[in-house]
Amino acid sequence: MNLEYPTALQSLILHLKRLPGIGSRSAERMSLWLLQQPVGTLAALSEVLVQVEQEIKPCASCGFFATREGCAICQAPDRDPRLLCIVEQPTDILPIERTGAFRGHYHALGGRLAPLDNVGPEDLRIGELMDRIRTGEFEEVVLATGADVAGEATANYLAEILRSSNVRLTRLAQGMPVGGGLDTADSLTLHRAFQHRRNLSHDA
Amino acid sequence: MLTHLKLRHLRCFEVAACQPGNGTTVFLGENAQGKTSILEAVCVAMRLQSPRTANLADLIRFGEKEFAVSATLAGQELLFGYSGNRRRMTIDSETMRSSGDYLRQSALVVWMSNDDMALVRGGSEGRRRFLDFLGSQLHPPYRPALRDYERALRARNFLLKRDAYPRWDQIDAYTRVLAEHAAILTRLRRELVARLEPFAAEVQAEVSGRAEPLGLVYEAAGGDRLEEVLAGFRDEESRKRGTAAGPHRDDFGITLHGMAASRFASEGQQRTTALALKIGQARLFLAESRRPPLLLLDDIFGELDPGRRNALMAALPVHSQKLITTTHLDWLRDHLQPESVYEVTRGMVAPGT
Ligand SMILES: [Zn+2]
Repeated sequence: MNLEYPTALQSLILHLKRLPGIGSRSAERMSLWLLQQPVGTLAALSEVLVQVEQEIKPCASCGFFATREGCAICQAPDRDPRLLCIVEQPTDILPIERTGAFRGHYHALGGRLAPLDNVGPEDLRIGELMDRIRTGEFEEVVLATGADVAGEATANYLAEILRSSNVRLTRLAQGMPVGGGLDTADSLTLHRAFQHRRNLSHDA
Repeated sequence: MLTHLKLRHLRCFEVAACQPGNGTTVFLGENAQGKTSILEAVCVAMRLQSPRTANLADLIRFGEKEFAVSATLAGQELLFGYSGNRRRMTIDSETMRSSGDYLRQSALVVWMSNDDMALVRGGSEGRRRFLDFLGSQLHPPYRPALRDYERALRARNFLLKRDAYPRWDQIDAYTRVLAEHAAILTRLRRELVARLEPFAAEVQAEVSGRAEPLGLVYEAAGGDRLEEVLAGFRDEESRKRGTAAGPHRDDFGITLHGMAASRFASEGQQRTTALALKIGQARLFLAESRRPPLLLLDDIFGELDPGRRNALMAALPVHSQKLITTTHLDWLRDHLQPESVYEVTRGMVAPGT
């Protein structure tokens, strides 16, 4: 019989292997590293894991990470109730928050349209979105899905089904990365930045 | 100038290396020994695409997991590795983030082969690939626009086929994305054909040795206002379950004396026209980039009569570096005085005599 790692260790390796971007070799290395940590480290880690599982749930309204205390976005009293920003993933919310440019509410779709990967509108949180718009007091909806083909298609789809609702629809401007010169922007970005250029004259 | 070439696990090669000369380098060998794959490797190292296949995985040697090709160009080492799901692009060991960054530092390439006759006689797909190859080299936005167009097209066609009754709400989400990239491609292709025409016409006259007016006419398949055009094709798209218009249906017409070269020109004239398109491409590249393109000539001399061979040689840009494959050296030795000759036998490259 071939000698193998003890079952518990094998099981740890298998669990780690399921993490995104982790192969067998890395999972093995990580497991052995964990084993060598001072007593108590793993207990603390497992406690945190259990806590995360029990306490962090997606907010039923916006999709952001909520705790037992509720959703830090939906419950904030100082947010503009007339503004709603639609993003693909809850992880897209923090980068927008950090800009400080937007103080409204969010709606994470949980993905984007990808027919070839068998992701259709019914797989996204579009029903919830329509309910929120129907019952909320939103006046403007910002479509902040990605600027690639799938993100654009998702924005177009939403724009079409939201057209009959009584809100102003806006799309994030496509274009130049801030702080980059013309030479650092990729060429298609530059091309599209030209197509979506803004009017700066006062008669507009 | 390309001074070193090294390939690994590419097509029939385990490893191979050579040092092309300043002017002309000849790869001599019987058919199916791997000559063409060397030129293909150069093309991939320079342009990240192959003229022989759209799927770079085809280049991975049987039983291997990845191929790599490195080329020293003007003292810089360009390296491209491909494993089916990963590609590695470095220049002087520095990883390039995007293919655009890599391609900007590479050379322009003209590929000539026996199959070029298909540009004149064959279907529109070959002519579109020709435009794509030119466009990607001359205009940085061309390649990403084509990639996004094809992505949107695949999704749209899939949706058209998927349901018993087409779900237009989902399909049209892609129509707009498709149209946006179609407009970019159409504009770039129109410009490209218009700029190629005078160069190709000039070469046609030189090689044929008489007035033989060549015309190129871009035929856009609705790409200028694709959303509008496709709105008129609802019924057809419902029946045929595919996108009915757009750059994937583009073509360009080739005329001699104002008449379609595919139908009214002699075989000899057609051969000249195929050469004129490719040498015209080389002259266009020279004019636009002010750098002589690298010429990859795959076994094109065998099919030509001596008169056309001489005219061809005279028409090629003088300062371009030339890599040539051939089965016979006799004629080439007299007319080209190659600086280096390599013999290619069963996947081995060795300096020849
Ligand atoms: Zn919330």
